[in-house]
Amino acid sequence: MRHILAIARRELRSYFVSPTAYAALTTYALLSGFFFSNQVTYYIRQASLADQQLNAIGRSALQLDVPTTVLEEFFKQEGFILLLVLPLLTMGLLTDERRKGTLELLLTSPIRPLELTLGKFVAALTLVGAMCLPTLPFFYFLAQGGAWEPGVVAAGYAGLLLLAATEIAIGLFISSLCENVLVSALCTYGVLVALNFVDTSASVARSIWVDFIQFLSFFFHYGEFARGVVALRDITYFAGFLALALFLTQRSIEAVRFKRS
Amino acid sequence: MITVQHLTKRFGSHTAVSDLSFEVGAGEVLGFLGPNGAGKTTSMRMVTGYLPPSGGSVAIDGHDLLKRPIDAKRRIGYLPENPPLYPELTVRQFLGFVAEIKDVPRTRRHAAIDRALDRANLGDVASKRIGTLSKGFKQRVGLAQAIVHEPPVLILDEPTSSLDPKQRVEVRDLIVALRGEHTVVLSTHILPEVSQVTDRVVIINRGRVMAVDSPQSLSQRLRGREAVTVEVGGASAADVNDAVRPIPGVSGVHADACDGIVTATIESAIGTDIRPEIARVLAARWRLLALRSESLSLEEIFLKLTEDA
Repeated sequence: MRHILAIARRELRSYFVSPTAYAALTTYALLSGFFFSNQVTYYIRQASLADQQLNAIGRSALQLDVPTTVLEEFFKQEGFILLLVLPLLTMGLLTDERRKGTLELLLTSPIRPLELTLGKFVAALTLVGAMCLPTLPFFYFLAQGGAWEPGVVAAGYAGLLLLAATEIAIGLFISSLCENVLVSALCTYGVLVALNFVDTSASVARSIWVDFIQFLSFFFHYGEFARGVVALRDITYFAGFLALALFLTQRSIEAVRFKRS
Repeated sequence: MITVQHLTKRFGSHTAVSDLSFEVGAGEVLGFLGPNGAGKTTSMRMVTGYLPPSGGSVAIDGHDLLKRPIDAKRRIGYLPENPPLYPELTVRQFLGFVAEIKDVPRTRRHAAIDRALDRANLGDVASKRIGTLSKGFKQRVGLAQAIVHEPPVLILDEPTSSLDPKQRVEVRDLIVALRGEHTVVLSTHILPEVSQVTDRVVIINRGRVMAVDSPQSLSQRLRGREAVTVEVGGASAADVNDAVRPIPGVSGVHADACDGIVTATIESAIGTDIRPEIARVLAARWRLLALRSESLSLEEIFLKLTEDA
């Protein structure tokens, strides 16, 4: 545990010494704020339209529940922003250690590849946690309007962190395979986009294969959290992916030592 | 302290190191010599546990590196050819990180960092970012990280290869200061460095051990004859030749005169010491200006062993 924290602290220090962390925090906060205000504005317009319809014809078919109109869309968009930012955070995690030769220092120290893997993972996840913090006041404003749905918000954040953890683990694994940070980032984008949106190609007809492809999609499972539904199936799905990616990263670190350099 | 037995490393069909065996005692400094591409770095990486060997074993202070890697690695300080540094950290932050992953207890960490800074003479740059330091200082930081946890074994891979002469002397002095406290394996192809610092040398070429011995013993084994050089004033080359040739054990004399001084190389069979008799004969008749034993230099030993292979 001591080694994991030492590696995580060192990684976080490197994030915050370079502009990386600040750029990620700023971009994430700005885009989140932009999407949140869009959703709230949309909701207010819908409410105003519903008022007009009620006054004119005495009824309105417009949907006006906050969890659907604001929260679900907001968390889905958060997942999308995460997809844009995460590969840039994970691309150098192990690729840089190889490039700078510091992997030799780490692997000749009394630490295990699993500790190195978890240290890197914890650092990136902590940064993502910090990125999410500026979005918390959004819900304070929402609560002022009496539209506070704490259960849905908690489920949304749990899903967001689970999605982030899984995507970080995948990015970390790809980083352990690459010797160039740009290649690492591009490969991570490719894999994450495919895993997030694989279900969009499978919604035309219904068959066991369509169901299977849909089941593979990150967004399919994450969408449940965004709706405020915490299901064991979705947790197991992300946990399985997460464990597999961390295991593969550890094996990949061990395999680096077998390569001729 | 270090026991290496039949260490072999293969990359596919290429054998980088073949059947490497040697032992290093506590406090000893072992030079690891070989031309570029001889397998020095691969050997160092296996001894430090970075590269798993294809065969053979390494034990550090009695701990088998393959069976108990964590215990063995705790006892090793390693400076690779390119110092492994985080340029974004300050020297103190970096040493703090290394001390932590090398299991230096929290209560002793501060003192350990101060000691490493002091030994590597880095006190003035302790709060500077590593990325802003000169190459010589970076090499010192590399050495400081290798000693911060006070390991009994130090493995230094080409520690001075990319430095200018002044920096090279500084780093060499630091290594000399570390001998006695640590068992040191020094890999290099810079021969004067080895003769100044090491007790014994391992010479490898194309992944194979060519010799393991002290430079003096190697010189004796390889030269094939004893030779003494003398400088004599007030005599001719023929006089010196005639005077020393009858001395028992002398097998050959090559004398030349220049500016009134005769320089002669007098050869004898291995194991015979003709110096006292030569000194007595020459000093009785002329001015004996110099008398010295000739031995093969490390360069000559190195070339002889690596060219013969």
